[in-house]
Amino acid sequence: MVESKQKRSAPAVNAPSAEELAALRPTLITGGKRPGDVTRDICEPMDRKPTALWWAAFSVSLAALIAGTIAVTYQIAFGIGTWGLNRTVGWAFDITNFVFWVGIGHAGTLISAVLFLFRQKWRTSVNRSAEAMTLFAVMCAGLFPVIHMGRPWLAFWMGPYPNTRGSLWVNFKSPLLWDVFAISTYLLISAVFWYIGLIPDLATIRDRSKPGIRQRIASIFSLGWNGSARTWHRYETVYMLLAGLATPLVFSVHTIVSMDFATAVIPGWHTTIFPPYFVAGAIFSGLAMVLTLMIIARKVMQLENYITIVHIESMCKLMLSMGSLVGLAYGTEFFMAAYSGNPYEQFVFLNRALGPFSWAYWTMVSCNVLIPQVLWFRPLRRNVAVVFVICIIINIGMWFERFVIIVTSLHRDFLPSSWAHYTPTTIEIITFIGSFGLFFTCFLLFCRVAPVIAMAEIKGVLKNPPRSKAPQESAKGDAV
Amino acid sequence: MTQLPDNLRSGDPGLHGPSLEIVALDESSEVSRRRFLEAAGFSFSLAALGGCGRAPVETSLPSPLQPAGAIPGRLQYYASTCTGCPSACGMLVGTRDGRPLKMEGLPGHPLSGGGLCAVGQALPIGLYDSQRLANPLQAGKSSDWATVDQQVVESLRQIKEAAKAVRLVTPTITSPTLQAAIDRFLEPFADAKHVVLDSVSHSAILDAHQQTHAARVLPHYRFEQADVIVSFGADFLGTWISPVEFTAAWSSRRAPSEASPEMSYHVQFESRMSLTGSNADRRVSIAPEEQGPLLGSLAEKIGELSGQPLSEPLARRASSDYGPVLTDLAKRLWDARGKSLVVCDSQDVGVQRVVNLLNHQLGNYDSTLDLKRPSRQRQANDRGVEELIAEMKGNQIGALLVAEVDLLHDLPESDSLTEAIAKIPLTVSFATHEDEFAAVAKFVCPDHHVLESWADAEPLSGLVSLAQPTLRPLGKTRAVLESLDAWSGRPGAAYEAVRAHWEEVIFPRRRADAPDTFLAFWEQTLHQGFVEVESEENLIEPFKIDAVDTLAQPKEAEGFSLVLYQKIPMPGGRHSQNPWLHELPDPVTKVTWGNYVCVSPEDAEKRGIADGDVVNVSISGVESSLELPVLVQIGQHKDVLAIALAYGCKGTDRFAKIGPQWFEARPTVAENEFVGKNAAGFVEFRDGTQQYLRSGIKLTKTGRKFELAATQTYHSLEVPKEIAPRGGERREIVEHTTLDAFAKDVHSGAAEHHFDGETQLWPEDHPRPKHSWGMVIDLNKCTGCSACVIACQSENNVPVVGYDEVRRQREMHWMRIDRYYTGEGEDMDIDHQPMMCQHCGNAPCETVCPVLATVHSDEGLNEQVYNRCVGTRYCANNCPYKVRRFNWFKYPHDDSLQNLVLNPDVTVRSRGVMEKCSMCVQRIEAGKIEAKSHGQPVADGAIQTACQQSCPASAIVFGDMNDQGSKISAALDNPRRFRVLEELNVRPSVSYLRVVKNREEKNNAEKHHNRESHSG
Repeated sequence: MVESKQKRSAPAVNAPSAEELAALRPTLITGGKRPGDVTRDICEPMDRKPTALWWAAFSVSLAALIAGTIAVTYQIAFGIGTWGLNRTVGWAFDITNFVFWVGIGHAGTLISAVLFLFRQKWRTSVNRSAEAMTLFAVMCAGLFPVIHMGRPWLAFWMGPYPNTRGSLWVNFKSPLLWDVFAISTYLLISAVFWYIGLIPDLATIRDRSKPGIRQRIASIFSLGWNGSARTWHRYETVYMLLAGLATPLVFSVHTIVSMDFATAVIPGWHTTIFPPYFVAGAIFSGLAMVLTLMIIARKVMQLENYITIVHIESMCKLMLSMGSLVGLAYGTEFFMAAYSGNPYEQFVFLNRALGPFSWAYWTMVSCNVLIPQVLWFRPLRRNVAVVFVICIIINIGMWFERFVIIVTSLHRDFLPSSWAHYTPTTIEIITFIGSFGLFFTCFLLFCRVAPVIAMAEIKGVLKNPPRSKAPQESAKGDAV
Repeated sequence: MTQLPDNLRSGDPGLHGPSLEIVALDESSEVSRRRFLEAAGFSFSLAALGGCGRAPVETSLPSPLQPAGAIPGRLQYYASTCTGCPSACGMLVGTRDGRPLKMEGLPGHPLSGGGLCAVGQALPIGLYDSQRLANPLQAGKSSDWATVDQQVVESLRQIKEAAKAVRLVTPTITSPTLQAAIDRFLEPFADAKHVVLDSVSHSAILDAHQQTHAARVLPHYRFEQADVIVSFGADFLGTWISPVEFTAAWSSRRAPSEASPEMSYHVQFESRMSLTGSNADRRVSIAPEEQGPLLGSLAEKIGELSGQPLSEPLARRASSDYGPVLTDLAKRLWDARGKSLVVCDSQDVGVQRVVNLLNHQLGNYDSTLDLKRPSRQRQANDRGVEELIAEMKGNQIGALLVAEVDLLHDLPESDSLTEAIAKIPLTVSFATHEDEFAAVAKFVCPDHHVLESWADAEPLSGLVSLAQPTLRPLGKTRAVLESLDAWSGRPGAAYEAVRAHWEEVIFPRRRADAPDTFLAFWEQTLHQGFVEVESEENLIEPFKIDAVDTLAQPKEAEGFSLVLYQKIPMPGGRHSQNPWLHELPDPVTKVTWGNYVCVSPEDAEKRGIADGDVVNVSISGVESSLELPVLVQIGQHKDVLAIALAYGCKGTDRFAKIGPQWFEARPTVAENEFVGKNAAGFVEFRDGTQQYLRSGIKLTKTGRKFELAATQTYHSLEVPKEIAPRGGERREIVEHTTLDAFAKDVHSGAAEHHFDGETQLWPEDHPRPKHSWGMVIDLNKCTGCSACVIACQSENNVPVVGYDEVRRQREMHWMRIDRYYTGEGEDMDIDHQPMMCQHCGNAPCETVCPVLATVHSDEGLNEQVYNRCVGTRYCANNCPYKVRRFNWFKYPHDDSLQNLVLNPDVTVRSRGVMEKCSMCVQRIEAGKIEAKSHGQPVADGAIQTACQQSCPASAIVFGDMNDQGSKISAALDNPRRFRVLEELNVRPSVSYLRVVKNREEKNNAEKHHNRESHSG
């Protein structure tokens, strides 16, 4: 890649040599890795039999997935009544989980597309898993709006498809319909983006594998990649275009999700700050989730040289800034409520902070605003254990943020006669755990079948120049 | 007459040919839907035999000749009488294809005035009850009438020969024909008595009148004529004697207008919180023992004002705390003499004598209390009951026959009575279900359901009405009247008996303007439902002041006082098998499914008990004790407990699995228990009356919890103090004013909204060219009685969901009554606000539905399209009024007989769809079709919603807001009109009229005056 780039862009006579260029780059990959080492290191976990740790993690995830499947089956068989919702609180765990997972799915696009456009080279180590995570998170997210319906078998009615029911059509005024478009677009673009980025690596796998099923699959999905300059050119153009297409989605998806609430009349929902607030929150939670996964993957798959402390620190800085935005939004909401003079609005926020669900509110504030402040300190944000704990805390906090927004606004709205409490049922909790099962099962399988780090892109940011003689496994020079 | 629906039909076989033949059903087979429809078809065929014979119909024949006017699929109304309780309100039975579906108030009825209570509305589900006894039982085994008759007659013959005692126990009988049949039946026996046992007795009022007026009668109270009403504990808007009649009368004086800013003044002295107290202008919480002294002091004060002071004090002095209240009240009463009314629920004859004295001093007899045309709605004589118990225990009874009341359930010491009953040679129960007495009775001769039999009633001397059957009996049951007649040797159909009695006794009492021939008289009555005749002579003597004695000093006892009361949805054990009534929230406590111990907030705090703590209530010296959950009741006097009677009825364990069954669901009825607990063990006979007030009650905590299923868990218009924003402490959802303020400014009490009602973001591009349906509810008339809740449930096929679903705040009622206690002490505002879909012009639910399952009609209705709904619940979340109801489960419709109660005009909703008030769109459409078929515009008042039709207070006005001359247009111009949450600009089609309390203006409370915000 480096070579081809140089060939294309710098044919000048007194161009700096590869060594000279490499010396100017920041050290993103440590351990003196050369392209051949990259391929070997990253492909190795796929060639090996799974480790005991993988099996343990996979069993737990699969068990959670199976439990979740049983819970959802039971719920669909008996009715939404098996959830703890009531006439006043019509959404709780379902939509909380939906927004939570959509939020997590945000970091993928942010890292892949936005950071790509801003030429943030450190993204290369994390973008693949972030994109995969996005896909799986959006899958989990998409599940909840479907199963939360009273009649999920009619979910297809949400689509504006031509039908035989005369002029019966969907309601384009409804934010739920906007959600359908936003989420499906996001899922589609994310999947395409992830797949396009995977093509060079799939070609590497194809070339490395012995003849067999894996080679055949890799060969189909690498779409005849031959590593030529022309292929690379096409690839980079498409990748750039997709990055450009995906960037607005980072903002649109969560903006639209936030409109589920912002366009409603319920105090605590009906707020114009929601779109930026939700986007910041989504990126915040997405980064925390990426980091959580990366720290695990780094440890389990011995990728310390690829996901370095520099990566973790960069992510922490981004998280800190997003966390501050989220904190600002919390404060602004309170200010607006006080300033609005609207007693219903004021009551909702006082009720959040001091009412029956205040424990959830203060969990949210502590997890999202107070605790992440330790990231101001360099030694702490370079301490992997501390960062891991903070990421988990942020994820918990961001789940509670959605829970607080949804449940505390609904449970005490306009007419005090209808005020009600909400307690989740076993089915609801297991369904939530099941979504984690789905997510981690998918992620763990992904780790086994595809390179968790974008090899082709990593090679572009290596400090060490390639050896004069290409490694054997890259005989065709495809990915080098 | 013009108010009656024009398709009003009479079910008299004499008019339309024999339409009511009875088909004997296979005793083994249950009544299936097919079977029922088949049979219902027969009843309209002319092919069968005449009269009420029991000829079995073998073959199915089509009906080439329909009864005149019968249109398949169209609701037909029959004027009848509700016999759900002895109040005997006028009732219209709506039947469709031979199937009674909907009970409505009979317009123009002199007592009920077109309203009908929740119990009356809930009759149909009791009719289609598959657990109703379908056969006579002998020693608990199914038998047939011939065998039973033979054996009963034989037993009776032996008893007659042995000259043993025969006792027939019934509640108050208002039916003249049945009373005659009872007299006929008892006549040949040497020692026969008819014992009247009401589930809650009012014996003391009758006894007191016997002493003061020498006639054991119940006065006819005329609340509509009273300017000042003083009630000592009498819940006359809820359960006392004739609540529908009294609600209509009371509310007729609660509509101050611009032209005449006048209304009655109502003071309630009570120790528990009753529905009536919650509607009073002034509610004074008193200890129950204070009742006598307060009445005594009041009589003294009135005596002083009248210039005829009492010779001696009637009772110990009432606490000086009440001095100013009594002085003020005495003055008001004296000023309104002749137009005031004092009523009291006491079962102490002495206290009732003082009440009579007060009414006498005030000259209320012959104006607000009518003794010349007395009420016959309660006739219990507790002395008779007391004697009966003694006779039973003394083993002196030869035959005991019990109808319409469960002797063992309603009387204390049921264990010893059960033993005594076992020794009686002949015991007969006429119960429709196997109640406690029926379980031990030798013969059970099940009565018809009230919709299956001919009956009559004379609730008021001189007002007689007919109850006609509207379908063939579903089981092999027999009217009590027929059974008694059969055993007294003159077997015949109830129809014949009623008609004969009317010809002999009622017809001669006709008024001068009545038809001259019996047939015309009968037909007219049958069509109209009732007739007014000359009342029977009543020998009333002038008031005897000597009869009024000094009240006995009540015994001082340690511990709590216990008040036993009737819950509005459950007036007696007869209705204990009715799931609609069990799930109807009590209008005051909002609790469904069962009874509980009401405890005052002071005691709850002192004892450290909270809602749902199970406590043991016991009485020292008596073996009876009950374990019940606690409900902390605002407004209840300290040291007072209150428990509802008529719970814990045998057979209610059938409701254990009434709701959706899933693994976290709690059963509606715990194992080996019934719905609620029977508190009749605390009833005591003292001085010849049943006492519902006990003292010396001990309360101990058990440490267990039982969550009560209440539909409302927050009870104030004020938000919790600790989280109240400044200026937003109180929500102006119900607006109030006082009569003084209203007289000065008719717009007083209007809440200030920062909303001008004019500015619109969107163009007005949704015209309502034809109709614009709207509703106005007068909160000053509405008492919260909840009749509309059941009316709506019956009309709109609202399912019963059971204890667990209500506990989870998932009740399905489309119409709910919000009840708020706002403020403290005597200044507390207690509000009842019917709340249902407000049919907003800018409906928040409509914009958010992704599949357009809720849309607006060009008549202003917010329509829910069930088969399009996918159940996202977004609409419910976005509804500011929280009136949308979601089908969380598939609510069971497995009982094919019970399904016959469903209104075929209204879809039965499936699981996963949203539903809500449709403003009875099916009735609107029917009304439009009817008008169209006559080529006329829809007349104002021709369409009535179910809630409006049944409202005893006539608080609901519905109509076309486009029609300038309509009642609703007038109501919309009422200065008291406001809309709930108007500031949201959702433009509801439902408006409310402000509450006006006849009380002093509060000094501190700043009421906003803002005419402008309400001019739009």
